[in-house]
Amino acid sequence: MFRFVFLAATLCFAAATSAQTITFGASVQLTGPVANTGRYYKDAYEFAVDKINAAGGVKVGGAQSKIALKLLDNQSDVNLSVRQYAQLLSQDKVNFLLGPFASNFVLADSSIAEKAQVPMVQGGGASDEIYTRSYKYIFGTLPAASDYFGSTIEAMAKLSPAPKTVALLYADDSFDVSVAKGTRELLQKAGIKAVLDQRYSSNASDFSVVLSQIKSANAEAVLVAGHETEVLNFIRQAKSLGVSPKLYSFTVGVPSADFRHALGKDANGASGMTAWLPSTSLKDPWFGDAEAFARDWKAKFGYDPDYHAAAGVAAVEAFVKAIEAAGSTDPKKVRDALAKVSFDSLYGHIAFNDKGQISLPQIMIQIQNDKVVPIFAGKDFINKLEYPLPPWSQR
Amino acid sequence: MQLLLQVLASGVLLGGLYALMALGLALVWGVLNIVNLSHGALIMLGAYATYFLFTGAHIDPFAALPITAVVLFVVGYGIQRGILNLVIRGPMFNTLLITFGIEVILTYLAQLWFSADFRAINPGYAGSNFAVGGITIPLVQVISFAIAIGLTVAMWLFLLHTRIGRGIRAAAQNLVAARLYGVDPKRIYAVTFGLGAALAGVAGGLYGTVSQINPYIGGPLTAKSFAIAIIGGLDNPLGVIVGGLCLGIVESLTALYIGPTYRDVASFGILVLVLIVRPSGLLGRTT
Amino acid sequence: MRIAIVVIVVLLLAALPATGNTVLLQFGISVLLLATLAQGWNIIGGFTGYPSFGNSVFYGLGAYGVAIAMVQLKLPFWSGMLLGAFLAVLFAALLGVAVLRLKGHYFAICTLGLAFIMTAIVSNLEIAGSNIGLVLPLLRSEVLFYELALGLLVLVTLTIFWLSRSRFGLGLIAIRENEEGAAVMGVNTTLYKVLAFMLSAVFTALAGGIYAYYITFIDPAGAFDIALNVKMIIMAVFGGPGSVLGPVVGAFILSTISEVLATKLTSVASMFFGVVIVIAVVFMPRGIADLVRNGRRAGWRYFIENVRTHRL
Repeated sequence: MFRFVFLAATLCFAAATSAQTITFGASVQLTGPVANTGRYYKDAYEFAVDKINAAGGVKVGGAQSKIALKLLDNQSDVNLSVRQYAQLLSQDKVNFLLGPFASNFVLADSSIAEKAQVPMVQGGGASDEIYTRSYKYIFGTLPAASDYFGSTIEAMAKLSPAPKTVALLYADDSFDVSVAKGTRELLQKAGIKAVLDQRYSSNASDFSVVLSQIKSANAEAVLVAGHETEVLNFIRQAKSLGVSPKLYSFTVGVPSADFRHALGKDANGASGMTAWLPSTSLKDPWFGDAEAFARDWKAKFGYDPDYHAAAGVAAVEAFVKAIEAAGSTDPKKVRDALAKVSFDSLYGHIAFNDKGQISLPQIMIQIQNDKVVPIFAGKDFINKLEYPLPPWSQR
Repeated sequence: MQLLLQVLASGVLLGGLYALMALGLALVWGVLNIVNLSHGALIMLGAYATYFLFTGAHIDPFAALPITAVVLFVVGYGIQRGILNLVIRGPMFNTLLITFGIEVILTYLAQLWFSADFRAINPGYAGSNFAVGGITIPLVQVISFAIAIGLTVAMWLFLLHTRIGRGIRAAAQNLVAARLYGVDPKRIYAVTFGLGAALAGVAGGLYGTVSQINPYIGGPLTAKSFAIAIIGGLDNPLGVIVGGLCLGIVESLTALYIGPTYRDVASFGILVLVLIVRPSGLLGRTT
Repeated sequence: MRIAIVVIVVLLLAALPATGNTVLLQFGISVLLLATLAQGWNIIGGFTGYPSFGNSVFYGLGAYGVAIAMVQLKLPFWSGMLLGAFLAVLFAALLGVAVLRLKGHYFAICTLGLAFIMTAIVSNLEIAGSNIGLVLPLLRSEVLFYELALGLLVLVTLTIFWLSRSRFGLGLIAIRENEEGAAVMGVNTTLYKVLAFMLSAVFTALAGGIYAYYITFIDPAGAFDIALNVKMIIMAVFGGPGSVLGPVVGAFILSTISEVLATKLTSVASMFFGVVIVIAVVFMPRGIADLVRNGRRAGWRYFIENVRTHRL
């Protein structure tokens, strides 16, 4: 499969030397521990580029140009991805950069883009730190980490009886620490007490101690900001230790199909959030609407897309719109155009704030009967939340 | 108090699984003097083997363990016979390096064949538990604990009290004498390494029922196994039980009283302390 | 004669930035730093015979020294380098006494444990940015990093050259070959070992400091990376431990092949290292230096002999 990418990229390159081709470069996690989410981005970038090229490509100053894609595998190694981005710029001479997955990668890789003053649009990192460095060339299609539990906490306040105590658990990487910081403030404003506020090491596999603490503290709700493998272990171990909070919500896992597949029936009841659902109300200039996009994606790749995929596609679309608005491929002009871009897409409304981050509300979701059901977004309950969750022994 | 007891119980059960993980490593190291950095990769392969037997052939995970053991035995035998045998009599450091190379290759192959998607072995009874005096005990972990202790004791009996076992130890200690007695050292070494791999495989199968499986779980498990093997001491196969329990309990208490992010400080801190103060381990003979 | 060749090579390398090829420059920086790390390991592993897995701790301390100095304390780069080197040497001195009492693989495992402990401790330190790490200020000058890295490599190689001819160095070799014998003959083995450890620490830490500033981002996993330590060892062993130029040659050759693979055939790159190690350890366990010295005379039989002596 990788040979196909390499071959495809080489062919694109060969074609590039003749007509005006715009090349995007990215270093993505295709192998290594984070590869199961990294591949969403490879598929997203390729899918978007193919669709846009099929529709005629990018209109730059009167002429139609095709897009080429150069993807490298950083093997889930941050240091390698930094070197690869440097290489994409200096050796492969790509025009623009698309981002990797994960905030810690984006943090490191964005410095290369900023150093070279080449715009990078990334859909993989949401942590606050990415946007506090006054970088001008970095844009992100994932909404702020600190707001991830926003809609969940609003929903909680509207439940009856509303949960009064919460256990907050988070991994020690940049994204999850940002989520926890924001969540703490949201909890305080909602008047909900955090009886447990615990940071744990990324890639932890044993949660029995923390679960025992949750049980002992009688937390009514549990909020976890972590990685898919950790959340998987958490849920399984919660079941085997008989820890049954009335509500539990996770920042990852719930929207993705293979997570639900790995857990089977045990996934039911878990809440999460997503900034994107494949609904027909999200119209797109190339894909029709989000539902059609999801259908075509499933047909092509064999699995359902989630918000990572949509965020990746959004990154490509943002670039295309910006290049057309700027009327040139000059990095500075495109950068300025990106700052002003504003259009509707299958991902929602794409526009970046003055720090370069998109602003989209999170929709609270819950797995019910093996399906992802939207629960709450902004004002009212879209569907009924299964609450309080029955103890494990009664499911 | 309840919380402390629950945490201790979890720590003990965790320690049992740890002990089994380290058993294969300790066997190969203590008897053959091979420091196997690919041990974690063998655990990972065992986990995948059990997973595919469960999901593909619908064999109960515990029933699949013996099959996994056989599969991994063959793999281990092959590795020893084909690659490790070529460098055994060289400086010991070389086996360290070469097993590292093997680890990289095995991890890569796993990623190639199984993809990076994570799997979990989830039989119907996976979450069941029972209560003992207010403490919740997960069923699967108790069975794993029992299997771990059972296999460790069996290995101890085998090595110290059977003729074959003593033969293996003798061959490892004195190759020339062993040859004179008609023992084929190549086969003995390969069988022993195969045994170590089989034990790793069983540990992997059990690990897959309590945690998740992906090609990269090997590295941290190798590191843990090293710590356990050394803390317990390489002279006595029962040492891994001591090492495993010690680590399981200390890690859990550290997570409870200091914080989950300090687990590694505790486990490897004990390793370093034991090495500095009593290198032969808690159950080892002081030379 | 050989010295003349080396001087010419160094001058050519120093002049590389003039070509303006940024790719080559970036590659050069990483190779030069790796070669320095291999040489640093050479001091404690190659000359003294103590295979250290703790060099990644020195590297990490150097990197964090620079990062903390520049980001938290707002000090200049050079202060950071001094801080990092100081921390590493302190670590080597304090822990060396206890840890260097162990031999062979026990020493290796113990230093490995230290690396894990340091990773875990630093990931809990607020001043080091906990597990998130620190982002260093941007410096748009590849040439400066390149020349710094080259300078450091020259420095460490000269040190090893001096080592190979000094009483101190001979003492280290004596310790490697027969430690008890050396002690009987009056070598203060503890002092020598700890000094070697500290010397190794200085260069490794300085390399870490340069890297941190160059890459503008460090976190515990990247700074104390065990895989990097393994790479150092492989390059030193592949090149020829205990020789003056061996680890440098080993680093250059292995890095080149590795980078080429990582950019052209990304999927195989990770497996490449594994295969190379296996082949190298089986067929040329004493490294390239030994191959160059003895291989020419023996031809193909050199490889076969290696296998025959070491296999069961």
